[in-house]
Amino acid sequence: MSNELLELIMGQSDADEIRHWIENELKNKKDPQMIVDALSRTLMEVGERYEKGELFLSDLMMIGYQASEVAKQLKPHIAKKRTGKRGKIVIGTVGGDIHDIGKNTVIMMLQADGWDVLDLGVDVPAEKFVKAVKEEKPNVLGLSALLTSTMNEMKTVIEALEKNGLREKVKVIVGGRPVTRKISKEIGADGYAEDSVAAIRVVREVTSKRRRVP
Amino acid sequence: MNSKERVLKTLQFEEPDRVPITELDVDVPLMEAITGDSFPYAVSLQTPIITDRSLERKRVDLKLKCYRKIGFDLFPIDLSTPDGWKPRSDPEENMIDLWGRVMKLDKTTKAWVPYSTVFTEPEDYDGFEMPDPEAPGWTFALEHAKKEIAGECALASFIRDPFAHAWEIFTPMKFVLWMHREPGFIRRVIEDITDFNIAIIKQVTEVGVDLVISGGDYCDAKGPMVPTAFFREVIFPNLKKQEEAARRADVKFIKHTDGNINQLLVDLAGIVDGLHSLDPSASVDIGKIKKEYGDRLVLIGNISVDNLAVKGRSDIRDEVRNCIKIASPGGGHILSSSNSWAAGAKLENCLTLVETGRKYGIYPIRL
Repeated sequence: MSNELLELIMGQSDADEIRHWIENELKNKKDPQMIVDALSRTLMEVGERYEKGELFLSDLMMIGYQASEVAKQLKPHIAKKRTGKRGKIVIGTVGGDIHDIGKNTVIMMLQADGWDVLDLGVDVPAEKFVKAVKEEKPNVLGLSALLTSTMNEMKTVIEALEKNGLREKVKVIVGGRPVTRKISKEIGADGYAEDSVAAIRVVREVTSKRRRVP
Repeated sequence: MNSKERVLKTLQFEEPDRVPITELDVDVPLMEAITGDSFPYAVSLQTPIITDRSLERKRVDLKLKCYRKIGFDLFPIDLSTPDGWKPRSDPEENMIDLWGRVMKLDKTTKAWVPYSTVFTEPEDYDGFEMPDPEAPGWTFALEHAKKEIAGECALASFIRDPFAHAWEIFTPMKFVLWMHREPGFIRRVIEDITDFNIAIIKQVTEVGVDLVISGGDYCDAKGPMVPTAFFREVIFPNLKKQEEAARRADVKFIKHTDGNINQLLVDLAGIVDGLHSLDPSASVDIGKIKKEYGDRLVLIGNISVDNLAVKGRSDIRDEVRNCIKIASPGGGHILSSSNSWAAGAKLENCLTLVETGRKYGIYPIRL
C-alpha cells in the first residue's frame, strides 16, 4: 500500500485519482490508520528526496497539498475508529512579521503526517502564543520568521513562556529563512527545522524525547 | 572618474579606478537613519503603490539623499503607478495592487508585502483588468531621478520578472496548483507579463537608463523553486525576449535572484548580461562563477545579508576583502550585499561594507 500511495503522490497524480484510490482502499476494509501510516512513510521519503535535491520547492508544495487533502479525506474515518492523532501543534509567524509561505507549507506537511495543527496566523504577539499554549495544551509550539529583524521575537516568545511557567510544558521548534541551528540553540528552542520536511522529522524527534525535568 | 563612468567601465569588463558599490534598495527605516529625514509612508519592493506624485517625488528624493550620502555609484529605481490609478482595499484594510495582489502592511519594514490574491480560479484572470503599459506615469520616478542625478551616477530601471509577478499575484500555492493542473494558463500569464515588460523596457530606455535590472526570485536556498524543465520551456524564453528588448536599446540587462542558482547558471549565462545577489548563504560561490563566466556576466554582490544582520564589523571587513579579491580583478564586478539593506541589518555593518569596499577596491586590486 505504501508504494502505491508513494507512486500516486510522487507522480503528482490528479487529486481525483488519489481520492478514488483511498475510497477503494476504504471500501476494501483497509484500516484507515494504515493509510495514514503509509502517508507518513511517503512524506519521509519525499523529505529524503528533497534533501538530496531530487525535488523542487514546487514539487514539495504540490505533494504537501495532495498529502493534506488525503489526510482531510481520512480524518472522519480515523475519528470513527478513535485511533486519534499524533498530537497537537500550535504554530504562527512571530510578531512584526507577516510572511507565511513557509509556515503554510509546514502546516500542510504536519497535517498530512497526522498532527492536529492550530494556525495562529501571522504577526502573532507573544501573549497570543502564551494564551494558545495555556488553552490548547499543544505538544509542540512552532515559531516562524522570514525577516532577520523579527528573529529576536522568537526569543521574546520563549521568554514569555518561561515567565508564565509554561516552558516545560511544550516543545518549541523554530524555522524560517534567517534561522540557523546555532541561533535556535541561542534563543533556547528545542528544535530547528530548515524546511517543511525537516519540520516533520524535528517534531517527531522532540516529541519522542522525555520532557525535561525542572 | 565619476560614479557613472566607473559603472559603465565595469559593465564593459574593464577596470575603472575602483570597484563600484551600490545596493538594489535600502529599507525606509535605514534610509531614515542614514539621512535623518523621515518618510512616514509605506512603500513596496514588489509593486508601485504611491499614487500622490508629491509623495512619489519625496520617495525618490529620500533614496537619492541616502545614496548620495553613502556615495553609491549606481541608482536603481522602480516604476511608479500609472496616472489616475487608485488602490482598492479589502474589508480587512489590506491593499489590492495593480495586479491583484492583496498586500498587508509590515510595520517593521514599513513596507506593503504580498499576502493573498483576488484570484480564486484561473478563470478570474480573464475578467481582471490588467495594467496598461502604454498608460502614462510608469516612468514618473525614473524621470525625476534622471533629472536630479544629471549624470553623476549610473541609473538603473528596476522591473519585476514575469515569473515572480505571477508567483506573487496568484500566491505561491495557487501558482503551483495551476502550474500542474493548467500549465498552458500559467504560460499565458507569463507571456502576458513579458509583453507588458517589453513595452515598459522600451519606455525606460527611451527615458535613458544605463541598465535594466529584473527583480524577483527564481530560487530558494536549496535550488530552483520550480522544475528546471519549466524554466527552459516557459521562463527562460520569456526572459530572453526582455533581454532582447533591452539590447535593442543598447542597454545591459541584469537578472536579480536570491537563492541557490547553481543549477540555472549555464542557462542564465546565455541569456542575461549580469547577475545580482549571488547569495553566499545559499551556496553560491562568486569566485567559481567569476572563473567560469567572468568574461560575459557582470557580477553584482555578494556580501551576505544575513551576516550584515548578525555578525560584527571585523567579519564584514573580512568578507568584503575576500569578495573583492576573488570577484573584482578585471572589472565586471559591482560590490553590494546579497539582496538589499534590510531593516534588520546593522547600519554599522552596512557602512563597514562601503568603507572596506572603498579601501580595498582600488584598481589594480592588491589583495
